Amino acid sequence: MEWDWAFVIEILPTLIEGVKITILATLLGSALAAILGLGLAILRRSKNPLMAKPVGFLADFIRGTPLLVQLYFIFYVLPDAGITLSPLVAGVIGLGLHYATYTAEVYRGGIDNVARGQWEAARACNLSAFQTWTRIILPQALPPMIPALANYFIAMFKETPLLSAITVLELMNQARSIANFNYRYIEPITLVGAFFLVISLVSVIALRWLERRYGRIEER
Amino acid sequence: MPPIIEIDGISKSFGAFKVLDQLSFNVAPGEKLALIGPSGSGKTTILRILMTLEGIDSGDIRVAGEHLYQMKKNGGLQPADENHLHTMRAQIGMVFQLFNLFPHKCVLDNVTLAPMLTKNTPRKQAEEQAMQLLEMVGLVDKAKSMPSQLSGGQKQRVAIARALALQPKIMLFDEVTSALDPELVEEVLNVLWRLSEETDMTMLLVTHEMGFAHEFADRVLFFDRGKIVEDGKPDEIFRNPKQERTQAFLKKIIAAGHRV
Repeated sequence: MEWDWAFVIEILPTLIEGVKITILATLLGSALAAILGLGLAILRRSKNPLMAKPVGFLADFIRGTPLLVQLYFIFYVLPDAGITLSPLVAGVIGLGLHYATYTAEVYRGGIDNVARGQWEAARACNLSAFQTWTRIILPQALPPMIPALANYFIAMFKETPLLSAITVLELMNQARSIANFNYRYIEPITLVGAFFLVISLVSVIALRWLERRYGRIEER
Repeated sequence: MPPIIEIDGISKSFGAFKVLDQLSFNVAPGEKLALIGPSGSGKTTILRILMTLEGIDSGDIRVAGEHLYQMKKNGGLQPADENHLHTMRAQIGMVFQLFNLFPHKCVLDNVTLAPMLTKNTPRKQAEEQAMQLLEMVGLVDKAKSMPSQLSGGQKQRVAIARALALQPKIMLFDEVTSALDPELVEEVLNVLWRLSEETDMTMLLVTHEMGFAHEFADRVLFFDRGKIVEDGKPDEIFRNPKQERTQAFLKKIIAAGHRV
């Protein structure tokens, strides 16, 4: 078995197409997880148990089942109920929904860390519930959570090969089809690892920077 | 003049603990009322109920003649909705023991926030008004500072300016000097004096500064176990308390080295 540079050059454009899809799925999945997670965290805090309990159960259910099963469900089972999604959309929803249950915990911790006196001062200032969230609570809760959220997004990035199971043409899927077609595994699979390593390392450097920038809890 | 606050038989429990027990009293407009008593006697809870931070279990509260926790609708009374509470709260300001400034906003923004968000005051006007208030509390030069850069006394003075920014009729002061180092207490009390000289605001103070309550208040309520034990002029309460429990409380306070 020999490393063939000519083969590497030949397959590189196809793999880069896959990298693009991988990055796209991660970015969209992260955005969805960030937004849905915040929604889950806020709904779980609701004083109305008819809201808080089912949302809490749903979050525990999603977190307690494997992402791969959820992806199969979204892509292969939902069409039976008349909902047909493209592979990428199904993949983004799967990633976003699954990781939202983790980011929701990060948000919950961050929101709980805002002193109770801040809620009371907001009420004494006669702010509405919406203004209290957007002007007082979230601006204090979000910055310290940014490193923890970014950590989940790096974890999500490394789980994107699961999307190959629902035919998304991301990096792993492209590499596997090249490999299967040419009966050569060493170059494509090594390159997949290399791509993930490089992007992860860059992300970790960015994460360290975020931790320095936002990680310290401001003195109250 | 009709009372600005009418408290009529209110009760409040936290679990099995009855904090307020069938409590009634009125406050006249412009009155400066000191609420004193041992901790857990319910005096802070009264302020928190007036600020709608806690609800009541039973009884009635009227502020400027309007029910606080009920509203008129279809000819009858119903539990107040958020709109009604919003209108009622606009008349009341509160200063907290632990300041509760917004740490992510500078001093000026702490003071302008409420008028800009709740009254749609234009920024320029809100800032002019805020600078006047900061002038009154002696902190014009700190307008651009962040709360974390201020001393406790300065934070509390900003908190007073913030509460005044909505031009409330009633100000609630909840142990506003209790968290301060002793040398910083006076600068905050001086602001209260200045406020009482320059406005005719109604003030309710929960305080352990007995000397200050004696000089400052028009009237003193002594609380114990959720009830008013004694209600009178400061001189009567501090110099000549009639009730045994008031006497015992004041004796303890004096033994602890407080000036009365």
